[in-house]
Formats: sequence, structure tokens, C-alpha cells
Amino acid sequence: MSLAAALLLAAMPMRVVSLNLCTDEYLLVTARPGQIVSISQLGADRQETPLAVRARGLATNNGRLGDVLAQAPDLVLTMGAAPQDAALARRLGVKFVALPYPESPGMVAAQVAQVAALLGNVAAGEAFAADLATLVSTAPAHPKKALMVGGGGLAPAMNGLTAGWLRLAGYTQQQGGPVAMEALLASPPPVLLVSRYRPRQYSQPQAWTQHPALARLPSRRVAVDGRAFLCGGAAMPAEIRRLRAAR
Amino acid sequence: MTLRLALLCLVLALASLAIGPVDLVAIHARDPELARTLFLELRLPRTGLALAIGAGLGGAGAATQALLRNPLASPDVLGPSTGAALGAVLAGYFLGAGVIGMALGGVGGALAALALLLALAGSGAGSPQLILAGVAVATLLGVAINLALSLAPSPFALYDLMTWLMGSLADRTLPQLLLAAPLIGLGLVLLIRSAPALDALALGEEVAQSLGIATASLNRRTIMAVALATGAGVAVAGSIGFIGLVVPHLVRPLTGHRPGAAILPAALAGAALLTAADIAVRLLPVDLKLGVLTALIGAPFFLWLILRGR
Repeated sequence: MSLAAALLLAAMPMRVVSLNLCTDEYLLVTARPGQIVSISQLGADRQETPLAVRARGLATNNGRLGDVLAQAPDLVLTMGAAPQDAALARRLGVKFVALPYPESPGMVAAQVAQVAALLGNVAAGEAFAADLATLVSTAPAHPKKALMVGGGGLAPAMNGLTAGWLRLAGYTQQQGGPVAMEALLASPPPVLLVSRYRPRQYSQPQAWTQHPALARLPSRRVAVDGRAFLCGGAAMPAEIRRLRAAR
Repeated sequence: MTLRLALLCLVLALASLAIGPVDLVAIHARDPELARTLFLELRLPRTGLALAIGAGLGGAGAATQALLRNPLASPDVLGPSTGAALGAVLAGYFLGAGVIGMALGGVGGALAALALLLALAGSGAGSPQLILAGVAVATLLGVAINLALSLAPSPFALYDLMTWLMGSLADRTLPQLLLAAPLIGLGLVLLIRSAPALDALALGEEVAQSLGIATASLNRRTIMAVALATGAGVAVAGSIGFIGLVVPHLVRPLTGHRPGAAILPAALAGAALLTAADIAVRLLPVDLKLGVLTALIGAPFFLWLILRGR
């Protein structure tokens, strides 16, 4: 082993912890074997992310910084503002990175690259970016008007992260915000993208999607994997390919 | 007076059916089948449930006040509503029960809450014991709902807490109406049939017994009927407060202070009040839960009751 490679290996974090589902996903596509000490419980839950299959054998944590300190991490990843955790980590000398919520597929690729660089695995970040670039360059030229609506009748914003991914799958989200069931039935979208997430587990938003009146919608129905869309992150390229095939 | 209240219900029901985000008449001209779907699957369930649940709460409130000889008794203050919500939550979120199972869970929960209340306070308990026991039961069951939703398999279940505690009639289904309305109706019929006996009970337990009324069986029948009248409704719409408390007091001056005779008018007034509140919820620019609106009207009234009795 050359001196440079040995130095690089020594500088690489080897005890990485993720506290958040979305950074779990980033880790699962960028980390080398042995680099991950623990991910959040959600990241290893097959009902929460399609990437959980890659988490087999990994230890999980409850998402709280205080509870993973005993694992002696040399890098802690999370998503969203965490000012108290950042201050605690600084006091204890633990490297702590809180990524912002991504607003576009491009920003997801940038975050994957950032995590890959932190882990000393730049190639994984480049591979993800190349994958996304392929999806962008092969995006369907004539996207279909569609409406993705989640539990309780809430539709993702027309210019947000979800809509950005849907565009790559060949759909334009035609409305965002709360959708009244009557209005939906009165002017049905050509395609209704229905999120499949924890089917058969009762909740009122879930019950909304199973309202008998919706069964009468003439729209073409396409099931999307609600797990991948939770973060709209590292699990999305595979889901976009699946959606294109089903288009 | 009963006729006038029934007319008021009819007018409010028509208004409720006419209100919605789309113009049903225009749609009917373009696509009659779609208009029929919108009417049958969305507007009718909402209006029908408001009438049925309001009637159930109003009638059950009057009957509870008559049975317990206490003007502060009502399904929401003493726990049956909360018990019904807990029963529906356990059936729906944990046992995977559908509409029928959740309604039965609601009735069972209401029944269990009433049984617990009477075990704690005794049926002839005075005001303080009864209200204390009721508040304890309602609080305990409310916390149990919170716990149950926290432990439910779906991570979104906890967000439903507001609806279970505050009630909502948005986007309910025709099967829910077809199931809840007959159960509530059955409860109300049983209550109205007990009205003369409950009137006699107002004179005291001994007097009622001397008039040939089997008070123990009257107790059982009334409790079963109250559970039917509230449980199925709460299982569909969540626990809606204050209708059961306020409405009997609104109609009592009109029924000559006979608590049993107040049951039918209270049911009609409850139906009218809940339908009116549900119309208001849809017309207000802010997104309020139905129970928030009924509490906004009911809570000051409850305070006034307490102050007047001081």
C-alpha cells in the first residue's frame, strides 16, 4: 500500500452513524462494508425504504444523538435543522453533519456526492450523479398530466422535489396542496398516481385513499412506491425506472 | 314543537346537501351519472351522518341526564364518547376491522365506559361523585386513545388523534352512514320507549319503584341504548363534544321539565345543531374540526350552567 493510500484510509471515517431515514439511504448507497456503525431504525425497516434490503446485519439506533454517543462515532449524519445536536457534537468533538432537505433531484445527487466524499468513496457519488444524468437525458419528451395524491387528499407541490422526480418519470404534477374529493371527481386527472405505503395499516389519511367514490374515477391509476417518495432520495432512480416501464 | 324541530332539521339538511366545492347542478347538466355519484357517495353520507350523530348525541344526552338525575351528565363529559372512540381505534388500527368492526368497537367502548362509570360512582350517586368519576373515566380513556394511536402500526396514526378527540365528518362514506344510522336509530327508539319510565324516575327511585318501574332493568336498558346512540356515531366521526350536554338544556324548558319527554326533542335539536355546525365548518375560511366548533358554542354554555347553579 502506498503512503498516500494509507493516509487516505486513516483519514476515512470508519465509525459512521446516521440518525435519519434519508441519510440512512445515502449511507446505504455510498458506504463501504464496515464503515457504518448504525443507521436509524427506519432505514432498516422494509416498510419505510426499498433500500432496507441493503441494511441486513447493520445495527440500528433510535435517531437520537445522545443515544449513539456510546457507539463512539467519528461521523454522525442527519437531515433537517438540529441546532442542539450540532452544539452537543461540537462540545464532544464528534463530527456532525446535518444536511438540508433537498428541493430537487439534482440537490439529492449533490448530497449523495457530499456524503460519498465524507466517506472517502467519491466514486459512489459520481456513479449516482451519472445515473441521474442518464435519467435526465432520457426523460420522456412529452410528459403526461397527472396527479399524485397522498393520504388525506394532500398532493405534493407542483414545483417541489416529488414533482421533480415525477417529471423524470414522464408525469407533470398538475395540482398541489389539499385536494377536495368532490373537485377531484368532478375534474379527474388523466393519470392518478396513488402512493402505496403501509397498505392494510389503518389511519385516516390511508382511509381517504380507499374511499369508495374514488373507485369511480375514470383516471388511469399508477401505483407509486410511497417508501421511495418519503425522502425522495437515494431510492428514487430505481423507482423512476419502474414508473417509466409502467407508463 | 317536535314538528318545528323536524322542519328545522329538514331545512338544514337541504342546505348541507347543497353546499360543496363543486356546483352539482352544473355537473348534472353535463354528466348526470357523476352528479349522482357525488351526491350519493359524498354529500348524502356527510349530511346523513350529521343528522344521525347529532340526534344520537342529543337524545343520549337527555337520557343520561334523566337516568342519572344530573343536569351535567352527557356522553362526552362522562366518558361514553371517549370510550367509543377508544373502542373504534382498537378495532380499526390494531385488529384491522372494517367499517362494521369499528362501529361495533365504538358501541362496545361506550358500553364499557358507562359500566366503568357506574361501577365507580354508583347509579344514584350525587353530582360531585358522578362528575368526578366521569371526568376520571373520560381522562383515562382519552389518554388510552393517545397511547393506542402512538403504538399503532401506522406511523401516521398519532396524527389522527385530533379527529378522534374533536370529530370530523369530512369525506365519510355511504357504508358508514348505512351502518351507523340504523344503530343510532335503534338506540334512540329504545330511549324514547323508556321516556315515561325516566320521567317517573325523576321523582326518585322509590317513587318510580312504587309506580311499578323495575329500576335495575331500566338502568340496563338505558345504558345499552345510550351506548348504541353514541358509540356507532363516534366510531365514524370521532368524539364530538357538548351536543349531548347543551341540547337537553335547550329543549327542557319546552318540555315542562320532564327529562324523559325531552329525549325526542333533544334528538331533533341535536341533529339540527350538528348539521348547522357542520355547515359552518365548511363555510368558515379556516379549517376547524367539527368538535372545535361545537365546543366553542358549548363550553361557554357549560360555564353558564355552573355559574347559574352556584
